[in-house]
Amino acid sequence: MKRAIILVVNGTEHSVEVQPSDLLVDVLRDRLRLTGTKKGCGTGECGACTVLLDGKPVNSCLLLAIRCEGRQITTIEGLGTPDSLHVLQKAFIDNGAVQCGFCAPGMLLSAKALLDENPAPSEMDIRQALAGNICRCTGYVKIVKAVSSAARTMSGAEGGGR
Amino acid sequence: MKKRGKGIACMFYPIGFTSYPNPGSAFVKVNQDGTAVVFTGATDMGQGSTTVLAQIAAEELGIRYEHITMVTGDTEKTPFDLGSVASRVTYIVGNAVKRAAHEAKRILLEVAAEKLGVSPDGLCAGDGRIYIKGLPERFLEISEVARIAQMGKGRPPIGSGSFNPITTFLDPETGHGKPYGAYVFATQIAEVEVDTETGVVEVLRIAAAHDCGKAINPMLVEGQVEGGISMGVGYGLFEEMVLDNGVVKNPQFTDYILPTSLDMPEIRVGIIERPEPTGPFGAKGIGEPSLLPTAPAIINAIYDAVGVRIRELPATPEKILKALRETDQGKA
Repeated sequence: MKRAIILVVNGTEHSVEVQPSDLLVDVLRDRLRLTGTKKGCGTGECGACTVLLDGKPVNSCLLLAIRCEGRQITTIEGLGTPDSLHVLQKAFIDNGAVQCGFCAPGMLLSAKALLDENPAPSEMDIRQALAGNICRCTGYVKIVKAVSSAARTMSGAEGGGR
Repeated sequence: MKKRGKGIACMFYPIGFTSYPNPGSAFVKVNQDGTAVVFTGATDMGQGSTTVLAQIAAEELGIRYEHITMVTGDTEKTPFDLGSVASRVTYIVGNAVKRAAHEAKRILLEVAAEKLGVSPDGLCAGDGRIYIKGLPERFLEISEVARIAQMGKGRPPIGSGSFNPITTFLDPETGHGKPYGAYVFATQIAEVEVDTETGVVEVLRIAAAHDCGKAINPMLVEGQVEGGISMGVGYGLFEEMVLDNGVVKNPQFTDYILPTSLDMPEIRVGIIERPEPTGPFGAKGIGEPSLLPTAPAIINAIYDAVGVRIRELPATPEKILKALRETDQGKA
């Protein structure tokens, strides 16, 4: 039985009809056409579908959309735009942290959640925060470097970063 | 008790298919605004081939990298490429792009030569200009030359190129022959810590020195090597497909374990640029070779640390503990 709910995604309210069993990742991708969020394993193991729910990183493939009503959802589309990249996105590009790109949206959102909570993370803090996001291409080296460099940029230009 | 050890592994690896033809091809056109478009079937899976091929075209044409547009991997629009396999794209498609760009440049040089009153061989292309060798102040903008070539001389500056490495089949009797156009070489050193009570191995550091010919894009080379090392760490320590009568018993990331950010050692990458005479600007390849020495270096480091030889991958804690016990019993 379908139910109409309001999802707040990247600050915009969307009214969608969902089945109680509909997963957040599928509603984001197939109904709201926010395909930046990737669906990898579908079982909460790879982290590709990571979005922020009230600022915390979650696997959107493990969440029922209906449970997210009235909560703040941030997807990669809400982080930055091609014309106005988030500091993290720019750091990923500058450091060569993106190869195939499939893990990148989830990586970026996990990294954002970390930096929102801990603006000056150690390398181990960064590795811990990204441990739920699997990357097959990069060996994580340049991803960790990018997050660390973004943290420095953001603390150096307080309020300058988005 | 935790024991540390170091291990070394070396490798060589060929670029391209074994003996069989594996061509790549490209079209290049230079536009009247001084930009250029490269069309090639080469497919970028994230390794960065589109970037590297654009760099090669830019260098050959003397046009800024930012002014190169790439059209890739579309069988309707682009000429044939065999694929992003065999660590072959930089070497083979890079040569094809360079040849196509050279052909287009040749038209520009011939047209510019007439205007500047010198022979085409006395001209160079660089910084968006065609200029007299040794006299860079005597130049024409490539945009202007392209316009004259196309609209004044009726010779659009276009080119096509293909490349297939010169190889032979192997002699079935002797095994001799020349199956590849180029080879790369590498050494990796791993330092590990083995827990003798649990059998758990932690890879602490890996140093990797890779010859890839001229590194057209050093950051991408590093990225390939770092990624290859992560695959090598997984191959050496975690990753095992368990089959039962053809059925995969561990089809999930919870039981087929890939390295995470917490499993990766400190990595140092050294790029050894030994130019390959047959490669585009001396380049060879780096894809697959990046992961080959990793697992053997780790296995050798385990031997150095605790004196046991693991001969079947992955080197799981169970295998290491069993080998340690057998060694102890042998001594007793």
